[in-house]
Amino acid sequence: MKVITFVLSLVVSFNAFANDTNPAKDLLLKMANAVHTRNFDASFVVVKGKTMEPYRWVHALQGDTELEHLSLLNGAGLEMVRIDNQVTYFEPQSEPYSLKTDSIAGPIPEVLFKDIDRLSAHYDFVLGGKGRIAGRAAQLVRIESKDEYKYNYWIWLDMESSLLLKAAYVNHEGEALEQLQLTHISVTEQPAGMLLEVLNRNFPTPLPNDALINEDSTATNWQISWLPDGFELLKSDRHKLDLNNELTDYYLFSDGFVEISVFIQRPLPGKRLSGALTSGATTVYVHNGGNFDVSVVGNVPSMTAKAIAESVTRAL
Amino acid sequence: MTKAHLNKLDNEALSALLDGEQHLTDAIIAEQDVTTFGRYALIGDAMRAQKNNNDIHIDISDRVALALESEPVYADFNKPKTQPQAITETVQDNKVVAFNWRKPVAQLAIAASVAMFAIMGVNTLPQNDPQQNEIPLLQTTPLTGMASPVSYSSAAPALENAELGLRELQQQRIGALVLEHQRQARVANSLETAQTNTKASEEKN
Repeated sequence: MKVITFVLSLVVSFNAFANDTNPAKDLLLKMANAVHTRNFDASFVVVKGKTMEPYRWVHALQGDTELEHLSLLNGAGLEMVRIDNQVTYFEPQSEPYSLKTDSIAGPIPEVLFKDIDRLSAHYDFVLGGKGRIAGRAAQLVRIESKDEYKYNYWIWLDMESSLLLKAAYVNHEGEALEQLQLTHISVTEQPAGMLLEVLNRNFPTPLPNDALINEDSTATNWQISWLPDGFELLKSDRHKLDLNNELTDYYLFSDGFVEISVFIQRPLPGKRLSGALTSGATTVYVHNGGNFDVSVVGNVPSMTAKAIAESVTRAL
Repeated sequence: MTKAHLNKLDNEALSALLDGEQHLTDAIIAEQDVTTFGRYALIGDAMRAQKNNNDIHIDISDRVALALESEPVYADFNKPKTQPQAITETVQDNKVVAFNWRKPVAQLAIAASVAMFAIMGVNTLPQNDPQQNEIPLLQTTPLTGMASPVSYSSAAPALENAELGLRELQQQRIGALVLEHQRQARVANSLETAQTNTKASEEKN
């Protein structure tokens, strides 16, 4: 009898292995699909420590054309409009501009709207518990970093529509650092009229993709000798910062989920101190490197930012 | 009209003539300055007018109007209110139009956009290393733009002022870095796709 049970359990577990379709990953892929195909109008807030940012997020599929609008509702605002593969950013202070990309870079990591599979090397997908979020039955899916150098990301999905209801950057002590919570969502058959109006508007022509990569790369100026596993250099150049007109050597890294910026600048006058600042999940680590200042910005733990900043040396 | 009188009032004979009363040509009055004479003349006018039941006719409206015409215009309330709106609309039409984006007042734009990136920070590094206890908070007053310029805090000693200035520099830099990171992160995805595409095509070749 015991043997039979054992054999049976073996068969069952083998079966589970054979259909190794990770249910958590499946749910995420379903979510990515739903976000691209449903007509919805949602409001959410992003809570970072003591601050809070309200957003409105509207999406429609009109024929074969996808329309999406995301706007920050407080303060001077920030608006992002997507028509298929073109995203236009409207910011205060600067002229609007467009990019050729198929997702809006807002508070939700872009990769979640795409093939999450490419994160498998550095993140685990774990099914969590069920709960009630924004008045709907929700399933928790945890994206867990395989090392301690990155945050985990938890997502609660609507069990009915597969749409995202809540999300949070969670540190390895299990504390939520930055939370995104839907306060309202309505899923409709027909696309929202206000969104269709976008089709009648003119938007700036997107910059060609190769214009994004600067010719005179400064990759060789500095040696960044440590990065967490999985991060790759996307671009490096020397340019001026918009707000204060300071010159910087700039490096952009990504592991597919989070981006890290490394800035190397002339030292500020006076006593310069090294230290970290955080806002929600975003860390800014400022490091006094002697003849230069290194700043690391990204949604990573401050220890990671510190280690990266301190690994920067002048290339020989 | 009245001004014409005033100009001639220093002439004693004329002033007497003007008043039609001999005693007013006395030396005392002649000593009065021109403006006093002017007032006298006006009073005289008024009195005579009362006597004769005539209206005093001091019409300055023409001259005011004339003066106003040559004045620079600070605010024109006569023009229809719709006009300035019409102008801004045409300006907007020339530009790329946002969905329902309204360009905010410049001041608000700066204050709020910086505030968006204000880091309400604390030093979150673990305190196990004794040296790290000396890492001060890279302070942290929110960059809401309302902070008065350094020169206003006149009571503060010069050194403190300088420190404040430096801190402002640092805050400006941090604000600029966070904004830049957000902007660069937007292109990350297309860059990544481009990279994987080139990698894939290289592998094929």
